[in-house]
Amino acid sequence: MQHLTEEQLVSHYYGDDEPQNVSQHLAACGDCFAQYETIRRVLALVAEAAVPDRGDEYGTELWNRLRWKLGRDRRRKAGWISGLAAAAALALAFFAGHFWRARHEVAPIVATARPSATAQPPDGGNRVLLLVVGDHLDSTERVLLEVANADPGRQLDIERESRRAGELVAANRIYRQSATQNGNERIASVLADLEPVLIEISHAGATLSGTELAELQKRIEAKGLLFKVRVISAQTSNPKPRKDNDRESNRI
Amino acid sequence: MTDLVAVSRARGGDADAFRTLVERHSRAIFRVAYRMTGNEHDADDVVQETFLRAYRQIDRFEERANFGTWVHRIAINCSLDLLRSRGRHERHRVNDSEDSEMSREFESSDPRPDRLLLSAELQQHVVSALDRLSGNERTAFILRHFEGMPVEEIGRTLGIQVNAAKHTIFRAVRKLRESLEPFVRSTPCST
Repeated sequence: MQHLTEEQLVSHYYGDDEPQNVSQHLAACGDCFAQYETIRRVLALVAEAAVPDRGDEYGTELWNRLRWKLGRDRRRKAGWISGLAAAAALALAFFAGHFWRARHEVAPIVATARPSATAQPPDGGNRVLLLVVGDHLDSTERVLLEVANADPGRQLDIERESRRAGELVAANRIYRQSATQNGNERIASVLADLEPVLIEISHAGATLSGTELAELQKRIEAKGLLFKVRVISAQTSNPKPRKDNDRESNRI
Repeated sequence: MTDLVAVSRARGGDADAFRTLVERHSRAIFRVAYRMTGNEHDADDVVQETFLRAYRQIDRFEERANFGTWVHRIAINCSLDLLRSRGRHERHRVNDSEDSEMSREFESSDPRPDRLLLSAELQQHVVSALDRLSGNERTAFILRHFEGMPVEEIGRTLGIQVNAAKHTIFRAVRKLRESLEPFVRSTPCST
């Protein structure tokens, strides 16, 4: 009688063979049966090896470690999206401005036109910039209000605002640079004031202690950020072209 | 809340839904990670990485699938990545002579594999036996023995042919047998 190989015995153990043939052989052959029993016992011994217990709280502890990482992940992803959206808006602003100038500079301008030295025409580019900055400031104001109106005597759950601030930082940076390039110093200055506060909120994580909250509220108040944001926001939502800057008035 | 509902909510940005999935599956994931890595610290790292990956890839989860199986699969891949990055099997070789000494010591202690609770020493011996396997042998064995994964899938997971996967499992069992047979030999054959 030909004995079963070790491979056949292992396959039989895991049910990877044609069980009938092997079973019949094992029933008839004492040697093979002893071999099979040894393998079975060894594998049973391995199966008995315990895995350290992690306890009922393991999932909660793991979650507490994970939530911060997941939040950072989301902020990074959202930051990219915000950055891309801002870049797209600014590209649109650039081309709109370029198109606007091209259209109007070819038009004849009356010789009596008196261009002012301070002239900053709200051209197409600037108008798009004002529009997107307006939306950006509205979102920023909501985040600042949550912090400014919170009770400093208690810990503040700031996870959502922190995430939102992370998204706003990337856009804020691009708008500030663009405002500087367009010569819009007032907007650039307010955005520059906002940036460190947004960064701080974005780094706050899930909660702010009472002390941290009070400190942040002081900074928002000291810089008059909410007031500045509201003023600029109101202006950007209804930009009034100054008459002496309006090239339209100089055209025939 | 079922897993499917939790996944659906987690996709919509509901952190608490994902928390439910983490709390529900983390202990099972730890078990597979521990068996794969043979080390508690590594297993904890694998569990964390598994859920991070699951979160990032949750849009790829197909609703007809089982979340537990899906996340198990991620854990296996994370464990493999960790083992490959560390060349684990190279640093877990056990000195043969030391091993023979231990075998003789246990041979006389009438160990019974049928016992539900293994003695700490015997447990350590099983751990050592598993540590003597190469990375692929250990992985193939764990996937077959503990996870019940078919040989074909083990081959795909390890990037080897089905026959090679089968032989890897055979080699693993042979090595385990060589290491652990002294502890089962003293028990009379019975069915």
